[in-house]
Amino acid sequence: MKKDYHISNALFVLPAVLMFAIFTIYPFVKTFQLSVYEWDGISPNMKFVGFKNYIDIILADKIFWKSMTNAGVITLLALTFQNLLALILAVIIDRGIKFEKFFRTVYFIPPILSGVVVGLVWKWIYDGNYGILNTILSYIGLEKCATSWLSNPKTALLSVAIVHMWKGFGWGFIILLSGLQTIPRELYEASSIDGADSFKQFYYVTVPLMIPIFFIVSILTILGTMQIFDLIYSMTRGGPAGATEVPISYIYRYMSNNELGYATAMAVIFGIVLFLLSILQIKISRKLKKV
Amino acid sequence: MKFKNFVIFCILIFLFSCSSKKSKQEIVIWHWMTDREEVFNKLAQKYSESKVVTVKFETYAPSDVYREKVRAAAQGGLLPDIYSPLGDQRELASFIKAGYIEDLTEYMNTGWKDWFFEAVLQQNTYKENNEWNLKAGIYGVPIDVVSIQIFYNKKIFEKLNLSVPKTFDEFINVCRKLRESNIQPFVSGFGEEWLIDVFSKSFEYQILGEEGMIKTIKGEIKYTDPRWIQVFELFEKMRDEKIFAEGIITMINKDAERVFATEKAAMALNGSWGINVYSGMNPDLKYDVFMPPKIANAKYPLRIWVSSSFLNVNPKSKFKQQAVEFLKWLTEEQQQIILSKETKNIPSNKNVSSEIESDVLKNFASNIDKSFPTLPVVENWKVIGTKCRGIQSIIIGQKTAKQLALELQKEKEKVISEIKLGSN
Repeated sequence: MKKDYHISNALFVLPAVLMFAIFTIYPFVKTFQLSVYEWDGISPNMKFVGFKNYIDIILADKIFWKSMTNAGVITLLALTFQNLLALILAVIIDRGIKFEKFFRTVYFIPPILSGVVVGLVWKWIYDGNYGILNTILSYIGLEKCATSWLSNPKTALLSVAIVHMWKGFGWGFIILLSGLQTIPRELYEASSIDGADSFKQFYYVTVPLMIPIFFIVSILTILGTMQIFDLIYSMTRGGPAGATEVPISYIYRYMSNNELGYATAMAVIFGIVLFLLSILQIKISRKLKKV
Repeated sequence: MKFKNFVIFCILIFLFSCSSKKSKQEIVIWHWMTDREEVFNKLAQKYSESKVVTVKFETYAPSDVYREKVRAAAQGGLLPDIYSPLGDQRELASFIKAGYIEDLTEYMNTGWKDWFFEAVLQQNTYKENNEWNLKAGIYGVPIDVVSIQIFYNKKIFEKLNLSVPKTFDEFINVCRKLRESNIQPFVSGFGEEWLIDVFSKSFEYQILGEEGMIKTIKGEIKYTDPRWIQVFELFEKMRDEKIFAEGIITMINKDAERVFATEKAAMALNGSWGINVYSGMNPDLKYDVFMPPKIANAKYPLRIWVSSSFLNVNPKSKFKQQAVEFLKWLTEEQQQIILSKETKNIPSNKNVSSEIESDVLKNFASNIDKSFPTLPVVENWKVIGTKCRGIQSIIIGQKTAKQLALELQKEKEKVISEIKLGSN
């Protein structure tokens, strides 16, 4: 009877385990396996190279690390400005302003748009020949500031980062707003009776209770931004001269040129970096909670 | 009991549907050419009416998606009867080596190969002692031809009384006059590295010649050689003369086509497909084409980029013979005329080039024999990428010709050492 019970339990779990094994464990193992081979993706023969791909990437591939730096810069901007904007807007909406539902909907429109579409629209805005941005700058007398935003290596990365932040702040906004709405109103009333002004209420009530939410938002921001690709591909393709190259676009370039072993090794290293970043963030968050 | 009967019924239906499919002689062709979809289907229908075999064209676009599909299908043994791996000679060689592409030499030697432009057929042909140690032979069938030259806006040229430049100096002079009139001289999709490569190669072949190119690829001529620096200096010269349109280095070709079609630039390096694109974007646009500029005292003749849409036969196809027969039929004069008229592309069958309606297309077709030669060796994609990104840097003033030459040589040496390590 007990045996039957266990068998039936195992049978219920089996489909989920199988799905997990096929769609998660197998690709993971296969990716690692490919990364220690040299393979063009076509030939039936793969050449085992051990950790050569890893050594080459870590020690000699400057472009890969430059692409990581680029992604890091966009991530840093998103972590600060994008999330700050999201927080400010969430706090304003949480205070109960007029047309609250309207704003809530409007702020959530950019994240649901396709990255490629957003990229193409903004590419049009930034265009040096007929872009709206340069037209506006000329109209208000700032024609000296007009430039080919995406073709100038000094402005290209920042231009892409701005679009990414515009597209992404809605996620943070929704999560932060839902977090703010879970804070009991009584706490604000009590702190108000104790003489706390709005700033003190925010600092002593909102911030400590929002730390788990800040943590989730920052984890999602880091993971989402480091893996940026669709905007880059549709706006600059990693150009000008590699100024906006990010890890995924670089990996994609190797994949497209049939260097699957090297590309998957980069993917593994990139995955490890993201994993370590997440661990670091969890630790920081735990420390903050204790404080 | 009812359920059991239902299951048996379903299995029978499934088996029946499978067996009926197998008995049908259907040639399946995978392609990426969305602009040719309609005419392909028409031709397939025409062929199916006269033969026992039916033909089915399946379109997968964009080309990136198509490429991935073909590679996945090759791994899974699911390639169709006719397809193309869509890649350079190196990639084609990988497919041939893996046994995914049929050697068509025997069929071609029956007189079939004489139908095609020599330069075009060469692109799917491997000679003896090739880099990949492949058996010499012809492995693909060209369906139509595309070529890249420089389009120019006739209205602007007439208005400014400019004549078509033939030499590099004349080209620079024309650009200077255009700039003086506040018109952007030259545009192209230089955000796509391959277009930079095409433009650069038209100078490279003039300065280094075929032999020099082969020697460079083999590592016998360094990229720091004065001849290579001369090539890169041409880009410096063009940058200093402000010939390039605003934002050219991040423009994809579609954007560049729009800039030319809306008359925001007077000249555009683009392919013969541009005829279709421009007529769609601006039907009133008046344009013609000319060859890339000839460098004064160049040692070697001017060459241009010519390519073809090839189709290859799957050697494991059940209907291999029928597939070859269909391709032969598709490249016959009658079908080639239909294809050319409907798609406004240059036919691969040279015997029908007189049937081309558009004067601009005729101009393209008349220069096909000046194509870049098919070399027995191919430069590594990383070196080409470094070159193209380096030229982008020159255009925006971030690098000099000499800096690029040094960087390129460094990359070349890295690639050579990787190859040496790999062969050990």
